[in-house]
Parts: sequence; C-alpha cells; structure tokens
Amino acid sequence: MADMQHAIDAIAEPRRREILRLVRDAELPAGAIAAHFADVTRPAVSQHLRTLREAGLVAERREGTRRLYRARPQGFAGLREFLDQFWDERLDVLRREAEREERGKTDDSGNRN
Amino acid sequence: MTVATGTEPIVKEVQIDARPETVFGFFTEADKLTRWLCEEATTDPRPGGVCLQTHRAGESRGDQLFHMRGEFVEITPPSRLVFTWGFDEPSVGVAPGSSTIEVTLEPEGGGTRLTLVHRDLPEAELPSHDEGWDYQLARLVIAAAGGDPDA
Repeated sequence: MADMQHAIDAIAEPRRREILRLVRDAELPAGAIAAHFADVTRPAVSQHLRTLREAGLVAERREGTRRLYRARPQGFAGLREFLDQFWDERLDVLRREAEREERGKTDDSGNRN
Repeated sequence: MTVATGTEPIVKEVQIDARPETVFGFFTEADKLTRWLCEEATTDPRPGGVCLQTHRAGESRGDQLFHMRGEFVEITPPSRLVFTWGFDEPSVGVAPGSSTIEVTLEPEGGGTRLTLVHRDLPEAELPSHDEGWDYQLARLVIAAAGGDPDA
C-alpha cells in the first residue's frame, strides 16, 4: 500500500493536481509547466514533478536536454486495489462482530453451545 | 480517441457464523455500524432514508474526519439492502450518491453468506473531461479517508 499512500500524498497538494491537469492530455517540457505558475519558483515546480514521478502519476521522458512530462494513467490503478483491501478488512471485522453478537444472543436465550 | 469504459464492481463474499437477521442490523443500526465501519453513524433505514457515517483518516492524513452521506435505496430485511456511498467534504469533491453498494445476505449452513458489490468505481483510465478528472482525483482522496481506519 506504500504506492497508494505516495499517490494520495502527491495529489494532496493543489499545485500538483494542477500539474496533473496540464499534462493529462499533452506531454509538456518542465519549462512550459513552470511557466504556467506565476507564483511558484522553477525549483519548486521541479520538486513537485519529482514527487509526482516518484508516486508513479507522471512519466518523465528525456529528449536532448529537455525533460518532458505526461500523466501516467496506470498510476491511478492503485485505488481499486486500495478499496478492494478496505472492504476485505472491514468485512473481516464485521464477521467477528456479527459472530460475537450472535453468540451473545444465543447466550441470552440460554442456548449455549 | 478516449473510450469511456465502465469499471468492474468490487465484489466481496464472506461467510459469517451468524444468522442474516443478526448481520443485517450491522448495516442499518448506528451502534452496530460503529463496531466495524466508522467512528460515528446516524441512520434512517428506509428507502430514501439517510445514512451518515464519520470516517477517520489514518494518522498519515492528520487524523482528518470525512463524512459519508449515503441514502438507503432498498431495504429488504434480512436478505438485501442497497445504499449510495459518497462524501460531504467539498475538499473531497465527490457528491454523495456517486457510488452504490449492494449487500445480499443468504442463509447458509446455519450462518450467512454475505455478498457485497461496490459499483460505479473510478476507472483506471484517465477520464476525458475535467469533471471526470476531478472525480478521479477526489476518489483517491476518499480512499485516504477510508485508509488505516484503526490507525
């Protein structure tokens, strides 16, 4: 689940979500992405891109001296896995609690095993 | 071209050594919902009735609280219930009613076979519209809300 946590942390920052929108349909060089943000320094944008790349949400490609970025759809596939596990864990607790409840009822009626 | 494809629902089955009547209450009664799914719950278990649940995100998310606002769609004790699943927080951005959970309880060997189907899940593909994109991102945040429920 480490990958999922990375993805969640990565998109918690509004500017990184904005970057994801920018590179959703188009592969863009880092400079073009940085130019989109008037109030963010170039190193800060580079750091955001790095975080997104490490979370698997964007792909980086080098072309000469340029680095190009594009959203990586498969980076989001972890959500399904997460929900899958979420329900596994919750239903496991439900099973224990429902069985405890059932035993309680049985005990109350004197129908003890 | 981007082709929108519906996602497969998540399907879970679990065998429980308790009668369907007993298990059913764990989906409709507030004091039982808090024993397995959420921190706080308010329920109005009838078609159109609201189910509110407070989920606490794990420590890694600052122990933030998220409020699930569901609506009971179908209630047929003790065998079947359907309810919607979505969150109130604007920061999450997912309107209540955006996904649906269907629970079926069948008697089996003195106990219950529970089947849970969670539909309308986000797609692994990138959505083609901004709205879908926001939705997708928001779903990730919701996943965080449900994450580490015991942390």
